[in-house]
Amino acid sequence: MAAPQHELILLKNMTQPGYTGSLADYEKTGGYQALRKTLGKVAPADVTATVMKSGLRGRGGAGFPTGVKWGFLPKDYTGPRYLCCNADESEPGTFKDRQLMERDPHQLLEGIVLAGYAIGAESAYIYIRGEMVLGSKILERALGEARAAGYIGRNILGTGINVEVWVHRGAGAYICGEETALLESLEGKRGLPRVKPPFPATHGLYNKPTVVNNVETLANLPHIMSRGAEWFAAIGSPPKSTGTRIFCVSGHVKRPGNYEVPMGITIRELIYEHAGGMRSDKPIKAFIPGGASAPFLTPDQLDVKLDFESVAAAGSMLGSGGVTVMEEGTSMVWAALRLMEFFYHESCGKCSPCREGSSWLVQTMRRIVAKRGQMQDLETLSDLCKNIAGRTVCAFGDAEVAPIMSTLKHWRQEYVTLIREAEAANLIRPEPAGAKH
Amino acid sequence: MPNTTTDTVRLTIDGTTVTVPKGTLVIEAARRVGVMIPHFCYHPKLKPDANCRMCLVEVEKMPKLQTACSTPVAEGMSVRTATTVVNDAHKSVLEFILANHPLDCPVCDQGGKCDLQDFSHQYTATTSRFVETKRIFQKDYFSPLIETQMNRCVQCLRCVRYCDEVMDVKALAPVGRGTMTEIKHFGTHPLDCEFCGGCVQICPVGAITSRLSMYEYRPWMLKRAETVCGYCGDGCQITVQTKDQELIEVNSAQGAGRNNGDLCARGFFGFHAGSHPERLTHPLIRRHGALVQATWEEALEFVAERTGRIKAAHGGQSFGGLISGRCTNEELYLFQKFMRVTIATNNIDSSARYGHLNGLQAMRRVQGTHRWTVGFDDIAAADVLLLVGTNITESNPITGLKVKEAVKKRGAALVTIEAVEPSIDTLSNIANLSRHHFSVPATHMRNAILGLLKAVVEQSLVQPDLLQRQPAYVNAVTRALLDISWEDVQASTRADTASFTDAAKVLAGGRRLVILAGQSLLRSEQGYSGSLDLFDLLLLTGKLDQPGCGCASLAEENNDQGAVEMGAVAEFLPGPCDITSRADRDRIMKLWKAEPPPNGGASLVEMLDRAGAGILKAMFIVGENPVGSLPAQVRAEESLRKLDLLVCQELFLTETAALAHVVLPVASSMEKSGTFTNTEGHVQAVRPAIEPVGESRPDWEVFVALSILMDAPLAYAESKDILKEIRSLIPGYGSLGPAPVPPKVDRTAVDRYLSEGYQKDLTSRYRLIAPKTRPDGTVQLELVQSLFHSGKLSTRAKGLLQVEGRGILKINPLDAARFGLVDGDRVRLSNARGEMTTEVRVMERVPEGLAWFPDHFSHAAIRLFDCVIDPVTRVPSIRTTSVSMMKVA
Amino acid sequence: MLKEKYQKEIDEILARYPVKRSALIPLLYLAQRDQGYVTEPAMKEIARLLGLTPSQVYETATFYTMLNLKKVGKFHIQVCKSLMCALVGSDTVIGWITTKLGIAPGNSTADGLFTLSVVECLAACGTGPMMQINDDYYERLTEEKVDRILADLKTTGTSQLKSGPFMWPERTQASG
Ligand SMILES: Cc1cc2nc3c(=O)[nH]c(=O)nc-3n(C[C@H](O)[C@H](O)[C@H](O)COP(=O)(O)O)c2cc1C
Ligand code: SF4
Ligand code: FES
Repeated sequence: MAAPQHELILLKNMTQPGYTGSLADYEKTGGYQALRKTLGKVAPADVTATVMKSGLRGRGGAGFPTGVKWGFLPKDYTGPRYLCCNADESEPGTFKDRQLMERDPHQLLEGIVLAGYAIGAESAYIYIRGEMVLGSKILERALGEARAAGYIGRNILGTGINVEVWVHRGAGAYICGEETALLESLEGKRGLPRVKPPFPATHGLYNKPTVVNNVETLANLPHIMSRGAEWFAAIGSPPKSTGTRIFCVSGHVKRPGNYEVPMGITIRELIYEHAGGMRSDKPIKAFIPGGASAPFLTPDQLDVKLDFESVAAAGSMLGSGGVTVMEEGTSMVWAALRLMEFFYHESCGKCSPCREGSSWLVQTMRRIVAKRGQMQDLETLSDLCKNIAGRTVCAFGDAEVAPIMSTLKHWRQEYVTLIREAEAANLIRPEPAGAKH
Repeated sequence: MPNTTTDTVRLTIDGTTVTVPKGTLVIEAARRVGVMIPHFCYHPKLKPDANCRMCLVEVEKMPKLQTACSTPVAEGMSVRTATTVVNDAHKSVLEFILANHPLDCPVCDQGGKCDLQDFSHQYTATTSRFVETKRIFQKDYFSPLIETQMNRCVQCLRCVRYCDEVMDVKALAPVGRGTMTEIKHFGTHPLDCEFCGGCVQICPVGAITSRLSMYEYRPWMLKRAETVCGYCGDGCQITVQTKDQELIEVNSAQGAGRNNGDLCARGFFGFHAGSHPERLTHPLIRRHGALVQATWEEALEFVAERTGRIKAAHGGQSFGGLISGRCTNEELYLFQKFMRVTIATNNIDSSARYGHLNGLQAMRRVQGTHRWTVGFDDIAAADVLLLVGTNITESNPITGLKVKEAVKKRGAALVTIEAVEPSIDTLSNIANLSRHHFSVPATHMRNAILGLLKAVVEQSLVQPDLLQRQPAYVNAVTRALLDISWEDVQASTRADTASFTDAAKVLAGGRRLVILAGQSLLRSEQGYSGSLDLFDLLLLTGKLDQPGCGCASLAEENNDQGAVEMGAVAEFLPGPCDITSRADRDRIMKLWKAEPPPNGGASLVEMLDRAGAGILKAMFIVGENPVGSLPAQVRAEESLRKLDLLVCQELFLTETAALAHVVLPVASSMEKSGTFTNTEGHVQAVRPAIEPVGESRPDWEVFVALSILMDAPLAYAESKDILKEIRSLIPGYGSLGPAPVPPKVDRTAVDRYLSEGYQKDLTSRYRLIAPKTRPDGTVQLELVQSLFHSGKLSTRAKGLLQVEGRGILKINPLDAARFGLVDGDRVRLSNARGEMTTEVRVMERVPEGLAWFPDHFSHAAIRLFDCVIDPVTRVPSIRTTSVSMMKVA
Repeated sequence: MLKEKYQKEIDEILARYPVKRSALIPLLYLAQRDQGYVTEPAMKEIARLLGLTPSQVYETATFYTMLNLKKVGKFHIQVCKSLMCALVGSDTVIGWITTKLGIAPGNSTADGLFTLSVVECLAACGTGPMMQINDDYYERLTEEKVDRILADLKTTGTSQLKSGPFMWPERTQASG
């Protein structure tokens, strides 16, 4: 329990004893002060500038600088603009947005109004994953309170500023977390990612300028606006990875859960100081630093700093902040298959490499795990992965190959062993060269 | 078209520099320099979807490969399409696409014309690394005409996108997710849609094919003929594919013809009409009351001899001729020459009389042209469109596509006056795309036009300098319009003043305003006057002579336009020229070495009257069926029975042919050469796909043969010779195919109209038609066009009969409730003239109080109608009548 | 007919969006709530309400896993089997339920009470193994817990063991 104390920002309120997340509670902790200080008092452009200065980067996965993204909206455009809060949280290993919404909904709502104000969006939609029924109910209730109190809706606090906010439930599709698929889905269509360019900044929801931001990203805004860009920029490992991150620790650790820490602490610290170390104290065999889409890393990378650049340099990505830890004895081929099953199930089917590739990969992986593999499968696997990565409509393609590519890289021997056993047990006759066509 | 350098972009593709318009896609730019980038999901008609990833190319300074189908060119861009990286990408994408493909090419109708086959041949190894189990979709019955084989599908969604973006039908749905995504349609019943065949044509593999030709051929076995569809006035270019004498399949190449490769159900699935078993194969002569088989010699001599005697006894004026607008220009021309020279009469008429003449006469009177001053391209490029009296998809589907393109792709504003109610069902509905829709039945359509005109003058949207130049005209029209009360307009159109005002503003605000007038106006009592009023609308808003603006009347039959231009109507010599015009008569006389009869001839109905009165003794009827098409009141049958000689040239033994003394079997448009002139005035080549069926011959050969037997030879060896003569006589027939420039309005004609021409019928055509009150228990029965048929010929096409095999009465849900009717019930319709019973179908697109019956199955219905004849154009209107409706067991 | 029954709610939904089609998924949820699954007539009616063709409704409905086009049990048990839950025993949980209810994943009990599905990550990876039953999450499952939940549902139709507003680890500033 000797977890070193870092100042909590996003989780602060909810860790106050008796904090219910009601409007009253939120206001007691200084809630909606940022909104009061900002709306109509700070020019929207200056809000964007502040956010830029804070160095805040997207917490949804891509880690794109938030202020810069806002800056892409056409300045001269007079028609409607939209803000979409990406609350689809579906990246395996990630469960922070759920906590932010269910325990402190007003923090998010205040952030949404601030963002809406900054980009000139009068309507904002919270696209929450359909399974989170409780979360959507809590948000609806909070919205009711905030509307009644005049924090949301038309003419907010008499400033003449309008930001209307709606909760829109998804219906079960991981891909709808991808921002353009999210927009399609919000338009009542199949959640198929759009071809980019054009980007949402110019052609987003209903083809209007649109910003899509993750829950955690938006939840940071009230704090940045009330405590200043400099304050935020000093946290974490500036200049590139400022602020805190909520890491969702799962897997074979003693105390899984959400830990908000300044970016830049090591994975070792996160696992051993915060998450209480390994369940049944076995050594770590592997871990994923940023959700299912992030390549696996090995124990000798435990001292990598948890910031965007360091993790990228280590060959993975910070992604959505989902840290999954696996102990000695876990089969890496099996683990990769489990994730592959997920990606196969979730491939939207729009583009050929991902659609066909995912079904091919999953079947081959199943064979190998079922001890019906053969050596040439390994070459096929890595070829297929290479042929999918970078050639799909959206980043899903790169994500789905991460588990196999990285496990093949670090634990190829485990694949080989399974195949050797297969051949030994002679469960298969070597396959024919393949069908002519 | 871009001209200034600012709208063009220079880039290099595999080292070759090319300059293309801004916004061009890399894949198209490459095509320009002969570089063919492989692709499946891309299609020039569709918005890029970049889903197949086949078209990946290297673009300098871009880290990832880019999809050429979705990447617009940029100045100085350098594209590489043949590097090893690109080739590997193509190979690998193809490997993915083939992974789950069944490779059942031997039993696939697409085999031999399949993109997947071709690219595989080009790129992939001969062995597959894919050793897993292939995806299998459970096969379910799709539709009578369209077959799907989803295991072959490459999920490019071209069919779905076409069905939505181009057709606006949205019948197809990609169902499920991931690898298990399959193309389906809603519901447990078979596909019910427009059956344009677009999905069949646009599918790059064999996943969607036509059932009409299923398993019947391999592409390389087929003979192809490029010709023109014989159904509607759109004049689509089609490729007819045949095996020996057998018609196998029709399609149309992307980019081909005025239709740019698009077709409708009639064109794509309707090609079997001529192969119907009841097709006439031998001449027939009436002996002792019965028609019996005869040789051509017997038949022709019989006709020549009888004709000679009647002519000697009663003169040329005792003859009449009627010909179908489905014949070629050559045949129409020769027929009128035969009647005028050999027989010596102007008693000539054609199917153009049924409505097309209304629009054409209005056009001549106001702007002095007989052709549109706009073309399909202007329709697609229009920024404002006014459609009057046409749910265009059903009468002229391809013109309809141009309208859809203007509205859906280019955001043009659409104003519509047409009975149809906006509603979403299995057929596209133009009212759904309309910004201002006036749902007004044919009987009162002119009132809506007057409403728009009234709004134009009251909102002072009249072009100022017109008032300067032609105050008399403007004032007269204005006065007439002010005399109309808004109350009366509203009462008869169920639309309020505001909507007329708004629509008028939209129309006046258009830079490129195109007005399209369709059958429900042209074939109505107000066909002529309504058309004139539409021209007034263009005049008042100052658009008549503006580039890209014009008023176009839609021809229903494929060559109605040609029929008039060839002079196959009483009032026109070839040209068309007024039969009375001295100068033209002289010109024609020089060529014919004979004077056309001086006196104006009788029109269709007049001829029948004269026959009834015993003045007319003989008639030549070519491909027309007045007994089946005209109401009892005209007494067509009775009159024709009185004739001493009735000669019918026909494909089938119609009600009229059954009365003939001689029936001559003739070739369908699939079996002969010639030309058709489409609704926009494009002259296009008709080429034979098969030999004439049985002993049938092209119509023109019959006229030649008869003229020879009658010692007044019209000597032409082939239809080309006739075309030569046509060219020397009629402008606009010089060249075939490539788009001629539409004519400009004739200024002097316009001035003549503006100074006094407008006057004579001004008061009558600016009078509102009083709203009719219909007693309870009755509905207004209207004959309407169906998308699945054209005239009566298509009712012999097996493909189309599967979609619409009989006449069904379409009624509005409220009326259905009122009369206690549901789909499939039978009703008796009756009025003073007679009665009929038929099946009903309930459809929201039918306005309350109306009941629609398809013209093509009208035989039983026709007797309930009466016939009003336009005093000027002599067009008989038989489209609407009031009947009482009753449910029967 | 949904319209008669839910007029107010439908209007309220339509009011949220400038473009009608956006109301499609909310209306499909409404239909599912009404009948337990999305019926063909419901899709037709929704198409009419939104000015779409039924095919457009159908294609959207079939894309999303939470919209059932076939009947499901009164209680739809969805056990997460993604890696993170699998690491902490989700397969065992699936085993228990299979034996307790006597149905394999993808099937329903004869009494139509339970349907068992195995699903992908539900964003409760820190509190696995877990499952969702209808609207509610049940986390950190143990065999006893599963027994109690199933029993509760059979008897009372609900269970106190369902998760409340989520926070894990449960801690306050004090306990650090
Ligand atoms: C396959 C895929 C799934 C994604 N899922 C999510 C998600 O569940 N939640 C999220 O916030 N972002 C997700 N993203 C990232 C979004 O596309 C987008 O980058 C993000 O919402 C932008 O917000 P941010 O800039 O605040 O991070 C996903 C991206 C991809 C390619
Ligand atoms: S036949 Fe035409 S209308 Fe029917 S589904 Fe195919 S493309 Fe659409
Ligand atoms: S043709 Fe470009 S992705 Fe299909």
